[in-house]
Amino acid sequence: MITVTLTVNGQEETHSIEARETLADFLRERCNLTGTHLGCEHGACGACTVTINGLPARSCLTLAVMCEDRAVQTVEGTRGDPEMDLIRKHFHEAHGLQCGYCTPGMLLAARDILRRHKAPGEATIRKELSGHLCRCTGYVGIVEAIRRAGAELSDKS
Amino acid sequence: MKPAPFDYVRPSHLGEATEILVKGQGSAIPISGGQSLMPMLSLRVASAETLVDISRLFELKTVEETSTGISYGAATTHAAIEDGKLPDPSRGLMHKVASGISYRAVRNFGTMGGSLALADPAADWPACLMALGALVTIVGPDGNRTVTVPELIEGPYTTILAPGEVITSIEVPRLPAEARWGYSKFARKSGAFANSLSVAVIGGGNKARVVIAGSSTSSSLLTDTASLLDRTPDATEDDLKTAIRDDLTKVDPNGDDYQHRSHAAIVLRAVQQARLP
Amino acid sequence: METTGDSWIGARVLRKEDERHLLGAGQFVGDVRMPGLRDIAFVRSPMAHAKLKGVTKPEGHEASVFTYEDLGPMKVLRTSPDMPTFHSAHYPALATDRVRFAGQPIAMCLASNRARAEDIADLVQVDLEELPAVVDVVDAMKPGTIKLHEDWPDNAYIHNTIDAGDMEAVAKIAAIKVKRRFKMNRQPSVSLECHAVLAYWDFRTGQLVVYFSTQGPHVMRIGIAEALGLQEYQVRVIAPDVGGGFGGKNRLMPEELAVAALAYKLKTPVRWLEDRREHLIASPHARDHYYELTAYADKDGMLLGVDGDVYVDAGAYPMWPTAAFMETSMSARNLPGPYQARNLRARTFTVATNKAPMGPYRGVGRPGACFAIERLMDEIAHELGIEPVELRRRNLVSSFPYETIGGMKLDTGDYHASLNAAADLIDLPAIRARQAKGELDGRRIGLGFAMYTEQSGHGTGEWVKRRGRIIPGYETATTRMGADGTVELLVGIQSHGQGMETTFAQIAAHELGLDPSKINVRHGDTSISPFGFGTFGSRSIVMGGGAAARSSRTLGEKLKKIGAHLLQCAAEETHLKDGQVHGPNGSVSIAEVARAANVRPDLLPQGIDPVLDVTMTYEPKESAGVFSYSTHGALIAVDPDTGAVELLDYVVAEDCGTMINPLVCDGQVQGGVAQGIGTALYEEIPFDDQGQPLATTFADYLMPGSMEIPNIRLAHIVTPALATEYGVKGMGEGGAIAPPAAIANALTDAFKDIRASFDETPLTPRRVIRALDAAKARVQTGEKP
Ligand SMILES: Cc1cc2nc3c(=O)[nH]c(=O)nc-3n(C[C@H](O)[C@H](O)[C@H](O)COP(=O)(O)OP(=O)(O)OC[C@H]3O[C@@H](n4cnc5c(N)ncnc54)[C@H](O)[C@@H]3O)c2cc1C
Ligand code: FES
Ligand code: FES
Repeated sequence: MITVTLTVNGQEETHSIEARETLADFLRERCNLTGTHLGCEHGACGACTVTINGLPARSCLTLAVMCEDRAVQTVEGTRGDPEMDLIRKHFHEAHGLQCGYCTPGMLLAARDILRRHKAPGEATIRKELSGHLCRCTGYVGIVEAIRRAGAELSDKS
Repeated sequence: MKPAPFDYVRPSHLGEATEILVKGQGSAIPISGGQSLMPMLSLRVASAETLVDISRLFELKTVEETSTGISYGAATTHAAIEDGKLPDPSRGLMHKVASGISYRAVRNFGTMGGSLALADPAADWPACLMALGALVTIVGPDGNRTVTVPELIEGPYTTILAPGEVITSIEVPRLPAEARWGYSKFARKSGAFANSLSVAVIGGGNKARVVIAGSSTSSSLLTDTASLLDRTPDATEDDLKTAIRDDLTKVDPNGDDYQHRSHAAIVLRAVQQARLP
Repeated sequence: METTGDSWIGARVLRKEDERHLLGAGQFVGDVRMPGLRDIAFVRSPMAHAKLKGVTKPEGHEASVFTYEDLGPMKVLRTSPDMPTFHSAHYPALATDRVRFAGQPIAMCLASNRARAEDIADLVQVDLEELPAVVDVVDAMKPGTIKLHEDWPDNAYIHNTIDAGDMEAVAKIAAIKVKRRFKMNRQPSVSLECHAVLAYWDFRTGQLVVYFSTQGPHVMRIGIAEALGLQEYQVRVIAPDVGGGFGGKNRLMPEELAVAALAYKLKTPVRWLEDRREHLIASPHARDHYYELTAYADKDGMLLGVDGDVYVDAGAYPMWPTAAFMETSMSARNLPGPYQARNLRARTFTVATNKAPMGPYRGVGRPGACFAIERLMDEIAHELGIEPVELRRRNLVSSFPYETIGGMKLDTGDYHASLNAAADLIDLPAIRARQAKGELDGRRIGLGFAMYTEQSGHGTGEWVKRRGRIIPGYETATTRMGADGTVELLVGIQSHGQGMETTFAQIAAHELGLDPSKINVRHGDTSISPFGFGTFGSRSIVMGGGAAARSSRTLGEKLKKIGAHLLQCAAEETHLKDGQVHGPNGSVSIAEVARAANVRPDLLPQGIDPVLDVTMTYEPKESAGVFSYSTHGALIAVDPDTGAVELLDYVVAEDCGTMINPLVCDGQVQGGVAQGIGTALYEEIPFDDQGQPLATTFADYLMPGSMEIPNIRLAHIVTPALATEYGVKGMGEGGAIAPPAAIANALTDAFKDIRASFDETPLTPRRVIRALDAAKARVQTGEKP
């Protein structure tokens, strides 16, 4: 067992874990942050996306011990954040979710896309989103939500 | 789908890392971005007694200009290249390749060194770096050695790396201003490993390099095609096709008819793109 | 149709369920926290077919490993259909003496977390004696092939023949005869949340509580209670948030039963969270249809009949409650599609092989049937050299009701309008002009259409015909109003992405003259909601929506009576609107009425009981179902060098009757189309000769992402049903039915010049090239396609 400390959503979390524990399991089972979902556990679906020091990461492909001293943010940590609330509003209005299982990963991906691309069009969004599987929506509502959010954010700035 | 148990160490410098790896004699393995190793561990198709975390070693993070090109630390991520914030000796080729690898979250952590060390036959970096004539520096218990990519990669998932050896940097020579490149990738879905992947670099006074990679073959240089282009830069499409086909039977003897046709089409596209004025 | 109050029917109400998911606060089974919870990993068969001679528990872990004997006595559940010609078999919770597919669970291992449970599973030794594997569905039926189930006469669960009309006569007179073989390969349903179950014994209530990612909690309770020999009240099934189901979560898997049995035995909380590899290997599989068909048409392209064989590879075992036999019969009955052909002859075989058992998946038998008939229609068009859209126009059913030769009673619609709308939306003439010019990048483009009808909301009569042991002929709803005038609507269906917490609230709001925000829909918990069959077969809006309409309307009548008393007028003079009971001379708030009914019985009129709580069931007037339908149009580009197919455009012109919420309907269609595109181009679990599945991760099993799915454009036609509340028709499955046919037709269109035929899904680049090669070879030999 190894004792690790990392910052999760602004709070220090110290737990004694096995080295093999992934960040996803650490967040879900130790920190009880169950908004981070597991859809494949081998890097292909994006449901487990969180940010590590601000960069989107697959928490299923990351060992918790490797995140020692790093700052992790999960979907729960974005509550009340104005940029994320705006993205959430557009997901709601554009019907960007059905069962909601892919949604946390989609939201974090959406924010990252909008930080790297100003008011992206459909083609850019589709390319950037391609690592995030949704089985329910056919992506139409999700792509539209991100497009609208990007347009609104760039109007504001 | 959880990994079998292992120990974890995070050495603070390269010497310590190689020492632990040597002691482990193959049961200790380095982990860098973890973007390939983690799925293999979770699926339990790979295992280790000790994981040696090399992702924070400063020796693997240095990026510097050399007299002939740019030397990238092995821990340079795909995203760092994609974002164009590092000097680029390849006139855009590396940016193009990096942004086509997998997905952003994977690119944020996956590294050039990890990709070379894994030697997945369909991976992007081995093909790209082979075409660019990159030199790979390896540090091990007995010191440094520098090899070319074809020397490094012996076949699918096999390299000359001995236990305890770590790739530390990759030096990419600067492309002359007149050189041209072409890149073509055919994958069954976006972000997936390639069925067929080809990179061609021609002109600028260097010898042409044409590379094929993909599901049935490791990254390989197509020498007949390259020498045809050296001899006859404006070789006809038919002549090119013949040369490509001859090359493919040599480098991919086990590929079936479909695979060869797909490879041939992708190589031709890369070459034609490189020949565009 | 009776309407009262505000019209929420047809409003684009934003979904109530969104908020929790957008905050990462949904609660899926894996999110349930429970002190002392332990995880399960299964030991699975590495072989497709073998005698199981023994299981050796690893030393030191004997108490953590469980085999079938360890779980205690379990009753064998009997699967539908209930007919003598159907051969059934026991699909045990853990294998007993034989394993019949690679991945079948043999033992279960328990530990403090999943990683440790897997460590133990790796140490368990299984003694197997390999038997020859039955892999090919046609070979399986050849005499001499080893039988999976020794007490069966052969490897068929059931065979059947439909013979309607006079095929011999048709064969003699038909000017056009097209013969084809079609194959739609195997896939699971791949909900993004895998299967999941967590069970514990609740000492306070004396219940086995089972958190279960399922589409039908009430039905699963019946199965679990029966198998474990418990009283039904001793089992409580809770389906919390469910991360997609699509049919795959509407069967009781052996793993799920084993988990419930273990929790009952140990009386401690245990859970199994299926991982993706397990899902791909051993969750209910689907499709795997094979057809050998001949279509006959006259010289004008009028379809005369369809004749041939239909095989469905249903895997190793029947699943509870209903085995896969519906696949073939549904497929055969749908072969005439929306067309007026009057002859149908089909021999059907539902066959057992050494592959994972088959369950339902969005569309069930119809995607295969649609693929077959719609491909045949295009081949007839190409034979005659006419536009496939024109051929369809000639053949479509145009007056209603119409009973097809397959026995489908098409109720209402305007099929021509749908076809025309799709052709307009995709701009058929512009595409033909573009094709004439050719593409600069050397690719070919092609346009394909496909149509289907979707039987939905079928009732008791239809299910009795199908010989179910459980007849999902009705649904139930409870409308319960509290003292403040807000409503809990309790329903027996289960919503897992379909937005029913919103659409059902709209229905109650409509009936009660309330805002939907005053209505909270609860479902998915056998201790909370009234009995119902769950969500599948595009039935929920018809059945559950109908029940919600009835119970709410009946409650509304009571509100009106009490309101009339308070307003001193007759109940007939009142109506419900904007949260008020309005009378001729004034109004009283519904909250006021609710207060009287619940906590001020002194204010109630004579003869009116207190409490506002109405439970009603509903079954539509017509038990043969109501039929949604649509036309799909796909525009593709094909790379003739690699065989890669890109979708350039995709349109759907659909009619699902009255839409309760168009936003939700759009989402259902788009999501269904994406799944259909997966079937058409990407998703497949191939098997080798030993019956080993060859796609066991998402590296090999390709899931369509945002680059593979185009923007899906929709047109709606609204022809209300006559037999249902508000004129609704079910529509959840439809999107997934037509894409394989539309896309294959588009490929065929792109290579019309050489009459290439694309007859097997998924249409991988390799298959595309193979079809092109075959066509070129035919052109050289002058052979007919
Ligand atoms: C869904 C998905 C899709 C992908 N698609 C592609 C794709 O299309 N193209 C592509 O090229 N890649 C793809 N990848 C792989 C990705 O690019 C990896 O990041 C990369 O191959 C490995 O880099 P890493 O740093 O993550 O290595 P790790 O996973 O950390 O290590 C990989 C192997 O290399 C060894 N190693 C790592 N660093 C060193 C070093 N410096 N010296 C010696 N040995 C070392 C490790 O011991 C291990 O054996 C994909 C990955 C995923 C999850
Ligand atoms: S669970 Fe991590 S990418 Fe799928
Ligand atoms: S909403 Fe269900 S997976 Fe995306």
